[in-house]
Amino acid sequence: MNTVLSRANSLFAFSLSVMAALTFGCFVTTAFKDRRVPVDIHVSKVMLKNVDDFTGPRERSDLGFITFDISADLEPIFDWNVKQLFLYLSAEYATKSNSLNQVVLWDKIVLRGENTKLSLRDMKSKYFFFDDGNGLRSNKNITLTLSWNVVPNAGILPLVAGSGHVSLPFPETYETTKSY
Amino acid sequence: MLSIFKSIPTHMDYKGQKLAEQIFQGIILISAVIGFIYGLIIQQFGWTVYIVLAGFAVSCVLTLPPWPMYRKNPLQWQPVIPESSGESPQKPQEASKRKKHK
Repeated sequence: MNTVLSRANSLFAFSLSVMAALTFGCFVTTAFKDRRVPVDIHVSKVMLKNVDDFTGPRERSDLGFITFDISADLEPIFDWNVKQLFLYLSAEYATKSNSLNQVVLWDKIVLRGENTKLSLRDMKSKYFFFDDGNGLRSNKNITLTLSWNVVPNAGILPLVAGSGHVSLPFPETYETTKSY
Repeated sequence: MLSIFKSIPTHMDYKGQKLAEQIFQGIILISAVIGFIYGLIIQQFGWTVYIVLAGFAVSCVLTLPPWPMYRKNPLQWQPVIPESSGESPQKPQEASKRKKHK
């Protein structure tokens, strides 16, 4: 502590230790918070096609097109330990060949500071809804769920399933549009 | 260029060093507590970091330069014994004493 460099070293190391303790305190204040919010999903249109799927081994696979509305208020999730939310809409269903299928149809990143009230109308899916085979036709029950990943400043990244989901059957024939 | 920086005296005496350490630890801890509470109230962690950085800057200014308040208790050296022809065994003692002064 006799020279400037020695004092500066001591001061800087102490500041960093204090900063680390504050970050841990920030994590502790939000560690056990419930990150679920009610979500409202509504599907307006579903169309089914049977096309060549070059990523799979078989000849033709089912391809679904969904038009949906989402509305949710994400405001309660954001606090001083949340940097951004990664939202994604996934479809879950069962077929004859696979007992559980999960496909991500659409995602969005919501940063802190952006508008947190989601009210999206007539959204088309971002990613292809391919099935592993032909299991989408006449499928009685396909469940769409909005889930999110909370990205914090410090701590664990919880994966939270949204509280609202909608189940819908798919059309029986190809190239026909079913409206809800 | 480095020799210019080396010639600026930056020493403090021992009590001054202790005082400087207490000052900067106190300032940073107080700014950390204030910053944590303020950030918790407005729910923005960025402000906590800004307040701690401000505390760091204030304690830099207060403790890095050797202010006179850190030199209030200088070490009391023995008075210099005037050299005479029969004092040669005491000279190495004086030389070793002077080396301790940092």
